[in-house]
Amino acid sequence: MFERLYTLFLNFREYVLLSGLVVLSLVLLSLNDKPQVKQIRTIMTVGLGILQDQVSFVPRYIGLKTENEILRRTNIELADEASQLREAKLENFRLKHLLGLKNRVEYEFVAGNIVTKNLTLLRNSLTLDVGEADGVRASMPVVNDAGLVGVVIAVSQHYAVVNILLNTDFRASAKIQRSRVDGILAWDGTRLTLKNIAKTLDVKQGDVVITSEYSSTFPAGIRIGLVSDVREQEGSLFKQVVIAPSVDFRRLEEVFVLSSVADPEKTDLEQQVNEFFPR
Amino acid sequence: MERYLRSALIVLALLIVQTVFMPYISIGGFLPDLLLIWVVYTAIRRGQVEAMIAGFLVGLLQDALATQLFGLAALSKTIAGFLAGYFFNENKTDQILGSYQFLLIVGMCSLIHNMVFYMIFLQGSDVPLLWTVIQYSAATTAYTGVISALPMFAFARKAMA
Repeated sequence: MFERLYTLFLNFREYVLLSGLVVLSLVLLSLNDKPQVKQIRTIMTVGLGILQDQVSFVPRYIGLKTENEILRRTNIELADEASQLREAKLENFRLKHLLGLKNRVEYEFVAGNIVTKNLTLLRNSLTLDVGEADGVRASMPVVNDAGLVGVVIAVSQHYAVVNILLNTDFRASAKIQRSRVDGILAWDGTRLTLKNIAKTLDVKQGDVVITSEYSSTFPAGIRIGLVSDVREQEGSLFKQVVIAPSVDFRRLEEVFVLSSVADPEKTDLEQQVNEFFPR
Repeated sequence: MERYLRSALIVLALLIVQTVFMPYISIGGFLPDLLLIWVVYTAIRRGQVEAMIAGFLVGLLQDALATQLFGLAALSKTIAGFLAGYFFNENKTDQILGSYQFLLIVGMCSLIHNMVFYMIFLQGSDVPLLWTVIQYSAATTAYTGVISALPMFAFARKAMA
């Protein structure tokens, strides 16, 4: 009996092995959210991060001249903008004081360098050389001078993995700055879009898109990008609104992690309401 | 034993090149898959069983370095190793590795590998599934095929020497 089984196994060993490995792979696929799997990934990502940190000088030197030109130009533009902003700040301060509005919460910024860019078109992510030791936690927003970059999804002692806007798993509550129209920001694999914008709402090409105050992850008012295209879709109640992100992800090298986490009181209250009145 | 150790070192070197240096030569976000070329090479040199095991282990390493779907590269590379194993011929190993046949085998295995990979990878996203799978698979396969010409020429020169 066993001899016959053994002969059978020998005759079909390739198929037996293929079936075994396929089943094993599928089991691993089903374990994706287990903390052990996340732990393995964090260790591997950290290892890779250290390695990439060592060789990252190569593209930095190549792009140094271009980067210098961009920085010089940006410096002039920012100097001009800063003087205008100083005026606006004073005016804003006076008006807020009059209205008795709360001042916006001040956030701490943790500066980080990008050591890995994982660009796979759909689920793009970055690894930063800052981690828990620097005060970085999961769900913290990541920005640069141009605007919103993404959100921290995993963090180790000295490294953090960031899901950028151009990731199919990334969602953020956003609004049109001019008309205050709200929508959901999402990456469909090729374009960054603002979803759930009814056809009747006022959205135009060139409108600035910012984070909305409805988001529990991102502070309100962070620049996301400009509306680059607005199309009416036949047979749909919604417009197709395409956004050109403010951040140039190809050139991105340094970012800031904002020490902003959702207000626990607000989150708790929302959770309680959801428990009492399930949707 | 020495052979396996050598293979492990080569895989490690390829993994570093793939994850650290390859992103600098990406075209439109698409990268060639050096580890898949290695799996096909193993299949032609050692046969189906070794290629499947190599594919699974190499895929697992790649999965550990990705941020999504652990086990996906292991699955697709196991299947690629199985398919490539059909072209194993002990007496014609050098001949296959040093000729256009190697490119065709890499191309075919890469296409199937990428289709399996993207079919699962794209689940849950808003993109038109079939069109995107075809588009991404074709682009990655073409780039991997072009890069696989480098080892092919190396094997051809070695065979002539």
